[in-house]
Amino acid sequence: MQVKDVRHVEWDDVVEAIEKCYELGWTDGLPVVPPTVARVEAFIEYGRRAPDEVLGTLPERRRAITVAKVAANAVMAGCKPEYFPVLLAATEAMLDPAFNLIGPSSSQGSAAVLTMVNGPIARELQINCRNNLFGPGHRANATIGRAIRLILMNACASIPGLFDRSIIGESAKYSYCIAENETETHWLPLHVERGFDREQSTVTVFACWSPRQLRCDADPRATLDCAADVASTFGTSLCTSDSVGDTSQLVRQGQMVLTVAGASTFWRDWSKQDVRAYLHPRIGRSVADLKRVKVLSGAITPDDAQHRVLFVPEPDDILIVSAGGPEGTGYRCAVILSELPKVASAAVTKAITIPSIS
Amino acid sequence: MALATRQQYLLVDPTTQPLNTMFHAAPRLHDLTNKRLGLIDDSKENAQELLEELTAVLRQRFGIANVVYHRKPSASKPAAPEVIQELAQTCDYVIVAIGS
Repeated sequence: MQVKDVRHVEWDDVVEAIEKCYELGWTDGLPVVPPTVARVEAFIEYGRRAPDEVLGTLPERRRAITVAKVAANAVMAGCKPEYFPVLLAATEAMLDPAFNLIGPSSSQGSAAVLTMVNGPIARELQINCRNNLFGPGHRANATIGRAIRLILMNACASIPGLFDRSIIGESAKYSYCIAENETETHWLPLHVERGFDREQSTVTVFACWSPRQLRCDADPRATLDCAADVASTFGTSLCTSDSVGDTSQLVRQGQMVLTVAGASTFWRDWSKQDVRAYLHPRIGRSVADLKRVKVLSGAITPDDAQHRVLFVPEPDDILIVSAGGPEGTGYRCAVILSELPKVASAAVTKAITIPSIS
Repeated sequence: MALATRQQYLLVDPTTQPLNTMFHAAPRLHDLTNKRLGLIDDSKENAQELLEELTAVLRQRFGIANVVYHRKPSASKPAAPEVIQELAQTCDYVIVAIGS
C-alpha cells in the first residue's frame, strides 16, 4: 500500500508525539492519536479500499477527499479500525450535493453535523443509543463524532476563522454521533423509513444546532405539543426570514430531528408517521408573531393573527429517532433544528459498506 | 552516558491542499457598448436592488443589447451548471451580486 502525503517526524515519548500534532495544526484542541503510517494503513486495509480513492470533492475549496485522508483523521480521533466504514459512508454523505457541505461548513450560524447510525453495525460497534445519548462515556460515539469534525477541519479545510465562519460555534461540533435504539421500539427505524432494508447499516448526516432537551410526563399529545412549541420558538435557525432560503417563502423551510426516549408502550397507538402528521402543522408561528419580532416586516394587521407560517416544508422533513434511556420517568425528547433551510442543506443517508472477510 | 536516540516516524498528513485546476479566462472585453449582459442574483437581501441599479448605470453609459437575469434558489448553493452554460452562450459578460 502506498499512502501519500507523509511527514517525517521524530519524538522521544508519547507526550512529545501528541505535542507534535498540535504543532502541525492538526487537532481540534484536544490531544490526538498520531496518525502513523502503520496505523492509518491498518484502517485502510480494514475498509478494503484504495488509499487514493476519491470519496467526493469540495469544488468551492478545490479539495478532493480520499480514503487515506479520512483514515488519518479517524486515527487521530481515537477510532478503532472497525469504525472506519461508518466514516467512509458519512464522508460520502457530507459530500453529497444535497448536503451542500460548503453551506453548513462555512456558515456564520455554526452548524454541527449530527451523525446517526442505523442497522446492525450500530449494535456491533456498540454505538450508544440509550442513556446519556448525547453525553460522554462511549468510545464509538465520542470518536466517530470527533472524526467527523476532524475530517471537516483537516480534509475539508473548515478551519475556524478561515473557511468556518461560525459566530459562536456549538459544543456539538466537537462530537455529535448517536445510534437509534431499534430493538426496544415498535417504530420503524429511521433508515427503513428512508428506503433502506432493516438489515442494511446506514449513516445519516444532518447539519444542525445542538439538541434542545424537553420533558413531559403527560401523554403523547402533550409531549408532542411541547416538542412543537420548542421547535416554534423565536430566534431559532428556522424562525428567520434571512435569505439563504427560498425567497418565495416567508421564512426558512428547514428540517428537524426529534429523538424520543422513554418506554415504547407510551407510544403504543402511534407510528412515526402519526407523530410527524401531528407535529408538522403545529411547528410555525402566526404572521402577527413573526412581525412582532421583526422576522417579517410591516405593521401587524387584524388578519395576521389568523395566518400561520409553517417552519418545516413537509411532514417527512421531521426525522424521528427512538433513542435515549428507555426507563425514564417522563418522556425525554430532544428537538434538533437544521442550521439551514432544506434547499441549502438536507439530511443525507448513505449505506455503510461492510468489508467482506476474504 | 549514551545519548538517547529519538524515534523516527512517518505520519500521514490528514489535511488537503487546493487542487491546481487549469483555468482559462475568457477574453477581456474592451468595450461594453451594446453587449449582452448576464446577471446572477445570489438571492440574498439587496442583491436584486444592487443589480437593478447597476443595470441602469450600464444601460445609460454603454447601452445593453440584451439582459439575462438569473436568481439562484439559495445563496448557499452554486448556480446550476445548465444556468452557467446558458449564460456563457448567450452573454458577453456576466456580473454576480452578493447581497446582505
